[in-house]
Amino acid sequence: MSVFAATEVLVAQNIAFGIIAIAIVVAAVRVVTTNNVVHAALWLVVVLGGIAAQYILLAAEFTAIVQVLVYIGAIVVLFLFGIMLTRARLGGENMVNKKMRPAAMVIAVAMFGLMAYSLWDFFGDTELEVMGRSTAELGQTTAQVSDSLFLTYLVPFEVVSVLLLAALTGAIVLARRD
Amino acid sequence: MNELVLAIELAFWQQTLIKVLVAAVLVPTTALIFGIVFLFKVMSWMQSRMGPQEAGPRGLLQLLADGAKFLQKEDIIPDKADRFVFKAAPVVVLASTFLIYVILPAGPDLIISDLPTGIFFAMAVSSLSVIGVLMAGWSSSNKYALMGGLRAGGQLIAYELPLILAVVGVVIQAGSLSMQDIVLAQANGSMLGFSGVGLPFLITQILGFGIFMVAIQAELTQPPFDMPVAESEVVGGFHVEYTGFRFLFFFLAEFATAFAFAAIAATLFLGGWYVPGIDPDSMLANVVGPIALFVKIMVVAFLIFWFRFTYPRFREDQLQRFAWKYLIPLALVNITITGALVVAL
Amino acid sequence: MPKVPGMVKGLGVTFRTMVETLKPSGGPATVQYPHEKEEPAARARGVIALHEENCTSCMLCSRECPDWCIYIEAHKTLAPPRRAGGKPRQVNKLDRFAIDYSLCMYCGICVEVCPFDALFWSPEYEFSEVSIADLLHEKQRLGEWMDTVPEFEPYEAGSEAKGRKVPR
Repeated sequence: MSVFAATEVLVAQNIAFGIIAIAIVVAAVRVVTTNNVVHAALWLVVVLGGIAAQYILLAAEFTAIVQVLVYIGAIVVLFLFGIMLTRARLGGENMVNKKMRPAAMVIAVAMFGLMAYSLWDFFGDTELEVMGRSTAELGQTTAQVSDSLFLTYLVPFEVVSVLLLAALTGAIVLARRD
Repeated sequence: MNELVLAIELAFWQQTLIKVLVAAVLVPTTALIFGIVFLFKVMSWMQSRMGPQEAGPRGLLQLLADGAKFLQKEDIIPDKADRFVFKAAPVVVLASTFLIYVILPAGPDLIISDLPTGIFFAMAVSSLSVIGVLMAGWSSSNKYALMGGLRAGGQLIAYELPLILAVVGVVIQAGSLSMQDIVLAQANGSMLGFSGVGLPFLITQILGFGIFMVAIQAELTQPPFDMPVAESEVVGGFHVEYTGFRFLFFFLAEFATAFAFAAIAATLFLGGWYVPGIDPDSMLANVVGPIALFVKIMVVAFLIFWFRFTYPRFREDQLQRFAWKYLIPLALVNITITGALVVAL
Repeated sequence: MPKVPGMVKGLGVTFRTMVETLKPSGGPATVQYPHEKEEPAARARGVIALHEENCTSCMLCSRECPDWCIYIEAHKTLAPPRRAGGKPRQVNKLDRFAIDYSLCMYCGICVEVCPFDALFWSPEYEFSEVSIADLLHEKQRLGEWMDTVPEFEPYEAGSEAKGRKVPR
C-alpha cells in the first residue's frame, strides 16, 4: 500500500536515485553559477527538495519531512524574504561577486575530497546490508529517532537549543539600536 | 483496516493511478463546493443579499461559469516579468495543495496514503505554498505584487508556528502522527468513563482548537488576516498580475487548501470520519465515513468563513504581535499542560 | 459581569443577518433587479428631461456643465408680435439640444441654472445602451422624458412662494 514499503532494494529505486541525484547536482551548480540571487535561492529549493526525495528513497521519512519543513518551508523562505527586502532585481545582476570564484572552487573540491576520502576510508569495499522495511516498521523509525533524541542524546539536544537561544539573543542585541 | 475497498488486488501503479485521478478530481470539486456554498451563498446571506441567482438552479453553477470565463481570458505575462518563475509560481502553490490531500482520511480504507507521520507531512507541504507566493510576488515585476508577496511570507512564517504547536497537543494525546491513528484514538477514547461516543479532542484540546482555527485563518490569508491580498492596500497582492487560468490556479489553491485545512481540523478535533455507534473497522465505516467527514468539514468551514465575513482587516503590526505574543505562548502552555496531564494520568 | 466583547458581538450581527435573510418573513435587503424593480425616490436623479418650448438657447446650461456634455445649436428668427401692430420679435430657434449621458455626471447644475424652466429631473433610470454613441440623447428623446417627470410637491402650508408647476 505504501510507497515506502519495499522489501528489497529495487532496480527502480536505483534509477530513481540516479535521476534525483543528477537533478540535485545540476541544481546545485546552478545555485552558484546563476547571476540572479532569487534564482539561486529557488535552485536551492530544488536541491533541498531533491535531498528530501533521497531521504524518502532511503526510508527515512521523518527526516525527509523535517528537511521540507525546516529547510524549504522556513530557511529558504527566510532567504527569499531577506533578498526581496533588500535587493531583488529582475533579470541578470552583474553585482554578484565573481572574484571569489577560484577560491570557492578550491575549497569545494577540497571538501568533496575530504568527504569522499572519509566515506571510502570507513566503508571501503564492504557491501551494505539490504534493509527491507514495511510500513509498520517505518512508523517505528520515527519512534527510534525520538527515542534516541530524548533518551540517549538528551543532554546534547538541550545544549544545542541553548546555543540557538544564545544566537537568537545575540541577533536581537545586534539589531536593536538603543 | 487491511481489507481493501476494491475486491481485486490492483498492481501498485494501478492503485497509484487511481489515487492520482481521485486527487485530481477532488481538489477542484472541493474548491468549487467551498466557493459556491461559502463565498457566494453564505457571504451573501450575511450581507443581506441572495447571491448569484441566474446561472443554473438558484445560481449554483455560477462558479463553473466563472471558471469557464477564466479559461477564455488572455494569458498575460508582464513584459519585464521573470517568465519562467512567473509561470511556475501558480503550479507550486497548487502542488502544495494537492500534497495535503494525500493524508486526508475519509474512512478506514479511504486514504490516499496513511503515512506514519501524516499530520507532520501535511504541515510540511502546506508550508511549500509560501515559496510559490514569494515567487509570484517577485517575478511579476510589480511593486504591489512584491509587497503582497513579502507580507504573505512574513505572515505565513509567523502563523505556521502556532499551527504546528496547536497540533502538537493533539499528537501528544493521540500518541501518533498518523491521521488514521488520531481518528482511532478519538473513536476509542472515553469521556469520563463513558465510551459510547468516543472522545473528540475538541473537548480536551479546546484551546488547541482555537489556536488552530486562528492560525489556519492566517495561513489561508483570509480576512481578518488578508493583508497579503488586501485590495485596498496592495491591489490584490501577489496575484495582481495574473490572469486567466493562472489566476484560476491561485483561486483553486486557496479554496482547496481551505477545504484541506478544514478537513485536518475536523479530523484532529472532531473525530474525522468516525461516527459514534459504527464500528471503525467495519465496511460500513467506509460508506458513512466520507459523509460524516464532509458534514464535519462543512461545520468547521462555516466557522472559518463566518470569521472571514465578519471581521475587518488587522494592521500588519497587530497581526505579528497577535501571533508572537499571544498565540505562540498560549500554544506552548497548551502543550505543557497536555504533556503533564498525559504523563500524570 | 463584563460586557460582551465587540468581536463576539460582530459574529452575532453577521449570524443574525444570515438568519434574517433566509427567513421567509425576512428576506434580503436587495432586490433581484431585472425581475423585480425598486421604486426610486420621487425626486431621484435619473435622467434630465427637456421642455423644448421653454428653452431660449441662452446657453447657460451648456456653459455651466462641468463635463461640457450639453450641445446646443440655434439660429435667430422672427416671431409674430405679442400685441397687434407691434414689431415682430427676434427669438432663438433651437436647432439642436443634446445631452451626452456617457459624459454626464448627474450633478444637476444645468437644471439649477436654467432660468426658464426648460430642464427637469426625471426618476427614470433604465436607458442603458449597447453602443456608447446611443447615450447621446437628442432633443426629441429628451422631450420624451418629460412625460416621466413627476409633479413638484406643494410647498409647506403658509409658504408665500408660489408652488412650481411642471409644464406639460
